[in-house]
Amino acid sequence: MSDFHAAKGRLYGLMAEFDNRYDLLEAAKASYAAGYRKMDAFSPMPIHGLDEAIGFKDRAMPLLVLLGGVVGCLGGFGLMYFITVIAYPMNVGGRPHFSWPAYIPPTFETTILCAAFAAVFGMLALNGLPRPHHPVFSVKRFALASRDRFFLLIEARDPLFHVEATRQFLEAQHAKEVEEVER
Amino acid sequence: MEHDEQQPSKAVDTEYEVIEPGHSYRSVTDHISAIVLTRKTPKTWLIGFGVSFMVLSLLLMSLGGLLVKGIGLWGVNQPVGWGFDIINFVWWIGIGHAGTLISAILLLLRQDWRTSINRFAEAMTLFAVACAGIYPVFHTGRPWLAYWLFPYPNTMGTWPQVLSPLVWDVFAVSTYATVSALFWYVGMIPDLATLRDRARAKGAKIFYGMLAMGWRGSARHWARYETASLLLAGLATPLVISVHTVVSFDFAVGIIPGWHATIFPPYFVAGAIFAGFAMVLTLSIPLRVFYKLEDFITNRHLDNMAKVMLATGLIVGYGYMMETFMAWYSGNPYESFLMKNRFSGPYMWFYWALITCNVLAPQILWWRRFRRNVTMLFVVSIIVSIGMWLERFIIIPVSLHRDFLPSSWGMYWPTSWDWMTFIGTLGLFASLMFIFLRLLPMISIFEMRTIVPPAEGRSKE
Amino acid sequence: MTAERLSGMRNKALIAGAAALAVTAAGMAANPDQFWRSYLLGFLYWAGVPVGCLALLMLHHLVGGGWGIVIRRTLEAGTRTLPLVAVLILPVLMNIPRLYLWAQPDKVAHDELLKHKAPYLNTPFFLGRTAFYFAVWMALAWLLNKYSDGQEKSQSDGTWKPKLQLVSGLGLLLYGLTATFASVDWVMSLDPHWFSTIYGVMFMVGGALTAMSFVIVVMSRLVRSEPMAALMKPNHFHDLGNLMFAFVMLWAYVSFSQYLIIWSGNLPEEIPWYLHRFHGAWGYVAVALLLFHFALPFVLLLLRTIKRKAQVLAAVAIGMLIMRLVDMAWVVTPSFHGEHISLHWMDVTAPVGIGGLWVAFFLTQLSRRTLEPVEAHLLEGGH
Repeated sequence: MSDFHAAKGRLYGLMAEFDNRYDLLEAAKASYAAGYRKMDAFSPMPIHGLDEAIGFKDRAMPLLVLLGGVVGCLGGFGLMYFITVIAYPMNVGGRPHFSWPAYIPPTFETTILCAAFAAVFGMLALNGLPRPHHPVFSVKRFALASRDRFFLLIEARDPLFHVEATRQFLEAQHAKEVEEVER
Repeated sequence: MEHDEQQPSKAVDTEYEVIEPGHSYRSVTDHISAIVLTRKTPKTWLIGFGVSFMVLSLLLMSLGGLLVKGIGLWGVNQPVGWGFDIINFVWWIGIGHAGTLISAILLLLRQDWRTSINRFAEAMTLFAVACAGIYPVFHTGRPWLAYWLFPYPNTMGTWPQVLSPLVWDVFAVSTYATVSALFWYVGMIPDLATLRDRARAKGAKIFYGMLAMGWRGSARHWARYETASLLLAGLATPLVISVHTVVSFDFAVGIIPGWHATIFPPYFVAGAIFAGFAMVLTLSIPLRVFYKLEDFITNRHLDNMAKVMLATGLIVGYGYMMETFMAWYSGNPYESFLMKNRFSGPYMWFYWALITCNVLAPQILWWRRFRRNVTMLFVVSIIVSIGMWLERFIIIPVSLHRDFLPSSWGMYWPTSWDWMTFIGTLGLFASLMFIFLRLLPMISIFEMRTIVPPAEGRSKE
Repeated sequence: MTAERLSGMRNKALIAGAAALAVTAAGMAANPDQFWRSYLLGFLYWAGVPVGCLALLMLHHLVGGGWGIVIRRTLEAGTRTLPLVAVLILPVLMNIPRLYLWAQPDKVAHDELLKHKAPYLNTPFFLGRTAFYFAVWMALAWLLNKYSDGQEKSQSDGTWKPKLQLVSGLGLLLYGLTATFASVDWVMSLDPHWFSTIYGVMFMVGGALTAMSFVIVVMSRLVRSEPMAALMKPNHFHDLGNLMFAFVMLWAYVSFSQYLIIWSGNLPEEIPWYLHRFHGAWGYVAVALLLFHFALPFVLLLLRTIKRKAQVLAAVAIGMLIMRLVDMAWVVTPSFHGEHISLHWMDVTAPVGIGGLWVAFFLTQLSRRTLEPVEAHLLEGGH
């Protein structure tokens, strides 16, 4: 038994390889149904429904972008107000200092800019990128995940994980190959 | 490869016409990444890049001369204070807009024919914005102080004049450049991972590995990635419209006859898309021949782009018509003089050439025969680019050269320095394009995978 | 099921319309000038719907998409009401001098600008142009309905689709020209000194928004029974909601652009139009437009959950329809009264009356043909 624990300590998880997206999707659903939770699926392109199949739900992105937009909008409008009314008031053709129609174009731009920053950097941060190295890269065939192969990973830290049982389970899901991923 | 032209039941197959049959995930990946990862640089590329780079040196020379002597080298003077600098700025910015349009609006509209052209169209946007940015920065005369345009607390105690559309332009163009670059880069991350995994040379592995930032194609990543792409597209769509709107405000909020017209915002936006699609066609027609990409950039793409060009060309024509009608209807003598001056003044040939290029020439695109004739399409796209350049010439110097008082009338002719700068930016654009083609995948590989017919390797439904 | 429901709605519309018109007719005796102004307001508002339907229909034939397939029958029925609209404009045409300053010879005689515009703004030419606009619109509607019938009977797209696309392509071109000049003639020339080159675009976008909102309301009623109950999925309403959102944005874009340009130029020949419309109580109407014609629908239509629920989306669309009328009143009525707000009760009853008649006629047209869309087989399973 101590052997098993040692193996589990250095093991990051088990990686199953599939040659089409439908098998991956079904395997992911089956694994989730079997009770596995600490898992991840890898594919060369987005697959509709795969995130839900592995039990992933994240509503943070739209909120982040909304937040960015609101900050950009208020900040931009506030900046224009500050410039024309407080910091550097000037008479331009008899127009009032608070000339809100002229604020709209720059405010619009700052809104978009901040929202776009929130979308890009929010996505990267939530995804934990940049991260140059990751255990899954130690699997040689994983390089094909960016070409035409599909992978399902069940992590060793999942409470249901058992090297042999999990391997058998994955093989039963039409996996072409199941490999151990080292930490 | 004119297939399925006449088959009536082909209405549903839009998905499969945008890529020729017989492709798989692997063939798509290998074909597109091979263009970048091949070790030997093709001779044609070297020649093309060499020529572009020589043209680019013209730009360096002209800008160097400008820095030494000042903008007196240019043809601008009273009464025409805006000449080639603004014409070419607007022309380049407009060209850039099709890239954003293809990648953002067509993504929102779920038009998957955009997939194979969006990457290089976005690259085109970036490079066109880079070319455009040179003009406003250098026409300040002291480009090293260009940062004064931004609002920041400074020892002079001054702030930019927010009521001026030129300040709006600073916000719009810098936002546009930033967001386009982000959109382009984010769109490329999964493909950079593909290149990282496919590269054999160590240097290439490191180069693409750094850029890919450790992308693994995890389902969690894809989920957030897709949300982010859609949100970015939703932001980029109003952004691209706002940018050319602000550019049109540069003119329209003034009261110069020929500039002060409420139709300017939508008419400028349509003109930008018109010019941009013309440029996408000008680039994609030779590209797909040289790199054997006819399977990915199919005749359907060319046909659709031609249709967009026809539609936006008609909107531009509508703008000309409304300007002319309202010039008379308004009863304003300066407005009607301006129109008369356009039709029969010293620059009348520019105007009639513009009408020929922008309104008459695109009309042949009503016929499918011409839309599917690649040579014809190429010629029309170049004619449109010329026409849109002439349009900016008509709007800018031709509106200025007849001032309210005849004593301040004058003429504007660009000097050889003006021409060198303009031709030089063409070289800059082409050079950047060549570097892009050599180093980065010109077609979005992962998006092409999503439109490959799911025929292969399916064991059960 | 649907047939009964439609005829029930038609009767209600007819009764409401007739009642409102009867009340308005009573007002005519008391204040004929006001009657015709209110009548024009109602006419302009409702004329926007079938003309907008025509534009949306042609747009659909050109770009395709599931959203257009499910509403195609409704759009087609909308275009078939154009003959009624042509009849409804006749009273306006009989009262041109009462409504339009340029048709009053004594005013023109002392006004250089109106003399300059007389070659365009004169009664015979005005009548001729109006006849031409209706001829173009009705011809397009007739062709589109005819080919659509042909497509349905032959059950194949081979011959009919290219025809529909050709008519739509040329038709949109003609629509752009006719709708622009119709807006110049019918509305802009109420302020004969004023001009704006974006005016036609503003009216086209506004009309498309009214039509889109109207169609959403109709679809939310149709989806309660077969055949639309089975065909229309939440994602179709999502698409329709997105289109409405796009038109709301476009309306705001075009309106703000015109305002910013005229505000910045601040020229005496242009700015009075806005001075009248921002002065006094009209200023509050302008703020209401900003809030309820743009800000509120903008926020609501950003929310996915709203767009996917037919009845909730329809509530937003009804609010939009009301605000469209407010917008139309804000654009049209200050032309008669200058800066003094003078919203007469007939400004409400006349649009309701004309609307009742029009909706009843529309529902008759809608029930004349099957509701099953022509290209129902192209609809994917919704999600």
